[in-house]
Amino acid sequence: MGSATRGIEKLGAAGLVLEAILVSLLGILLLVGFIVLRRWYRARYFHKRSLHTVALRSQWNDILSGKIPAENWRFNPLDCDIVESILLDSIEMSPADELSPLLDCLRVSGLLDMRIYEARTSRGLKQRTALLALGRTRAMEAIPALAAGLDSPLRETRIAAVRGLGRTARVEAAIPILDRIVTGQFDAPERSLKNALVNCCRSNPEVLVNYVEETQGPVRELLARVLGELASPELGEELLVLASDVLPEVRASAARALGNTNASYTLPALHSLASDPEWFVRLRAVVALGQIENIGKINILLRSLCDTNRHVRQRAAWALARMEPQLHQILEDVVATKDDYALQAFVSELERSGAIDKIVSGFTGSGLHSAETALMEVVAEARKRVELTGQAVAAAAGAK
Amino acid sequence: MIAHFLAISNDTLFIYYALSNVIYLGLLIVAIVKNVRHRHRLGSQRLELMKASPFTPPITLIVPAHNEERSIVGSVGALLGLDYPYLEVIVVNDGSDDATMEKLREAYQLQTARILYIADIATAPLRSIYRSRVDPRLFVLDKEAAGCKADAINAGINAATSPYICVVDADSILEKESLIRIMAGVFADPGRVMAVGGIVRVLNGSRVVNNQIEEVRLPKSPIEVMQVIEYLRAFLVGREAWAGFNMLPIISGAFGVFQRDLVLQVGGFRTHAVGEDLDLVIRMHRRLHEEHRSYHIDFIPDPTCWTEVPTDLKSLARQRARWHKGLIDTLWPNRDMLFRARYGRVGWLVLPYMWIFEFLAPVIELVGYATIILALISGELSKTFFLQFLLFGYAFATLISIGSVLLEEMTFRRYSDWREVARLLCYCFFEHFPYRQLTMFWRLQGIWQYLHGDLQWGSMKRVGISTGPVA
Repeated sequence: MGSATRGIEKLGAAGLVLEAILVSLLGILLLVGFIVLRRWYRARYFHKRSLHTVALRSQWNDILSGKIPAENWRFNPLDCDIVESILLDSIEMSPADELSPLLDCLRVSGLLDMRIYEARTSRGLKQRTALLALGRTRAMEAIPALAAGLDSPLRETRIAAVRGLGRTARVEAAIPILDRIVTGQFDAPERSLKNALVNCCRSNPEVLVNYVEETQGPVRELLARVLGELASPELGEELLVLASDVLPEVRASAARALGNTNASYTLPALHSLASDPEWFVRLRAVVALGQIENIGKINILLRSLCDTNRHVRQRAAWALARMEPQLHQILEDVVATKDDYALQAFVSELERSGAIDKIVSGFTGSGLHSAETALMEVVAEARKRVELTGQAVAAAAGAK
Repeated sequence: MIAHFLAISNDTLFIYYALSNVIYLGLLIVAIVKNVRHRHRLGSQRLELMKASPFTPPITLIVPAHNEERSIVGSVGALLGLDYPYLEVIVVNDGSDDATMEKLREAYQLQTARILYIADIATAPLRSIYRSRVDPRLFVLDKEAAGCKADAINAGINAATSPYICVVDADSILEKESLIRIMAGVFADPGRVMAVGGIVRVLNGSRVVNNQIEEVRLPKSPIEVMQVIEYLRAFLVGREAWAGFNMLPIISGAFGVFQRDLVLQVGGFRTHAVGEDLDLVIRMHRRLHEEHRSYHIDFIPDPTCWTEVPTDLKSLARQRARWHKGLIDTLWPNRDMLFRARYGRVGWLVLPYMWIFEFLAPVIELVGYATIILALISGELSKTFFLQFLLFGYAFATLISIGSVLLEEMTFRRYSDWREVARLLCYCFFEHFPYRQLTMFWRLQGIWQYLHGDLQWGSMKRVGISTGPVA
């Protein structure tokens, strides 16, 4: 070996290249070897796992009821992994009243305690896997261990803890997350936090309201977005407070939430939000208006149809075009606005939804041929003007 | 004097070659880490909630079609069947000479539509706009040919009503969940994410039923398999790693989502640009940097678009020459971005990389071959060193190719049969000799054609999609 190295040293630059060749060839061998071995190992493992799964599935009821003692499978790592997977999958899919035997099996077999122990004492991938598995158990006793994971100095572990808490889908699991994020010091991706909070607070969004009121800035925006996704009529007039918030994101979320309610205050609140200075708040308000059943929204949507922002106009047109019984009247009102862009947005949307055929056939049926013709002439004229404006814009852009 | 020149030239070549491979090795390592992480996180994506939410933003698919009578009806049907809640499909018939328009009219019962069309971006004249009676989400713009795909896409952008547009080739196949998956990248940070690219994979050889991939297989001919390796390396390694540093220079024209307003702000796709996709993304970087906006142009490796690649050398040569022309055609007008602080890492890293290791690569390689042979003949270079250098270059580049296959193995494993993987691995050993030298020649042709003002696209021979059983 020593003589080989000395030989390379004598070669100088050529020796360096020779070393590089050897390293590259070794790299190739290692990569190819790794791929082949990985394939072989995986094929073998999945075959073995499949056989064990069949065996365990055939005795599943006895395993669940405890007739087959946990010791029979618990200390075989493969069997233990299979049983845990089946249990966790079943827990995720089961309604609350069917959870009890599954959770009992986890508790009696010691699987739950093992995962709690791993989540508290392990590090790295093992800890993160344990945190996620704990979340999937949806067990109350898992929450403290998951909450402890939120204080890890490692970001990946904190993310796993957030995801785990989210998986429990219990409002109690939201509290540790909320307590930490209100400090403004908790570092985890917004998307993970949002997903977890949505899962946990789905059945009880009221819990978020106090936190929204206590916070400021980006944290307040985040909580408002979660609230926007979950808000229900039970939240009541709390939403009105959010609708007049100073932060546009919060107002936008309130608009979104109002789309899920249909109370007496919904329409006035959305009316106000539909004329917000921020276009995305107006957009959310218009989308929300599209969701609620209330004829009173027509006038608000007609005004939004003349909005300066194209997205707002289009969404307003989208919402109006779906109000089938009132379409004739709406079309007349749109023509009356004398706003070519509004008219074109609406007619385009009628085309898209296929409703224009119904309008035209409605005219024919009612003998209002002249009205139909007049309307279509107005549409054609407006379209020409819009096209001319567009060409002018394009020409101006080209000239620049 | 000549000896001195040859020595310097050979040293430069050696450093260039080693540096190029070391950079790619670095990109491979970054890509492996990113891909594996992404794979782990896929499980927690709430696609079903995105599909159900009324706040999921609408998206417009723009399908430029020029003489696509063979595949257009099936392709449009597949696009309309994509799993996305608010979808609009705009097919732009770009003055086809064949029966593309008739096929569409017949299959989707097209009727003249009275929709808003404002030419925010100037295009060739529009003949008519149609809407489908079968599916109201489908619109067809019939326009006069402008001789370039960009013009057709621009017409589609003008007609699009959604805040996001996705450009899809008419002969490509998108997987059912690909749109919602690619949009998940946008939902992650809608304020900052301006565009997202998905992966494009080679369709040749796979079995397709009802315009959906039924079974993924490797193509039979070596030339197509080589392209499979190239695509894996380009997308899973190159794009994934560049996107990780927010320096993604290109989103494939076959599959990418863009914020419509931003595309309009930069003037749409540049008409007559040879590489319109690369050109657009570089101009987006430029604009966003000039406006000091915080943004991200991302790549996501799981939303997949399957596309047919050339099956014969002639078509492949034309395609590679065109790609290289597109590269020059983008780099040259944007040369003022090089090493300028206002363009950040795009100006300091990715553009210089593209100039040195992409655009100049075939020239440097050719000069390198010439000087090495000269040095060998004149005795300035020992035969042993020459052979060692060749072997090193070959081995290192092969290592990177195998790394790409490994990455595919560790993440998406689309080629599930071990024989397919074995074939892929075998072809990695032939990619750098003689395939690499052929592509070098084609890229040189591209430079030559560009310098002589030949900016034609050229045609590609298509064999069509296999729908029969796999042997």
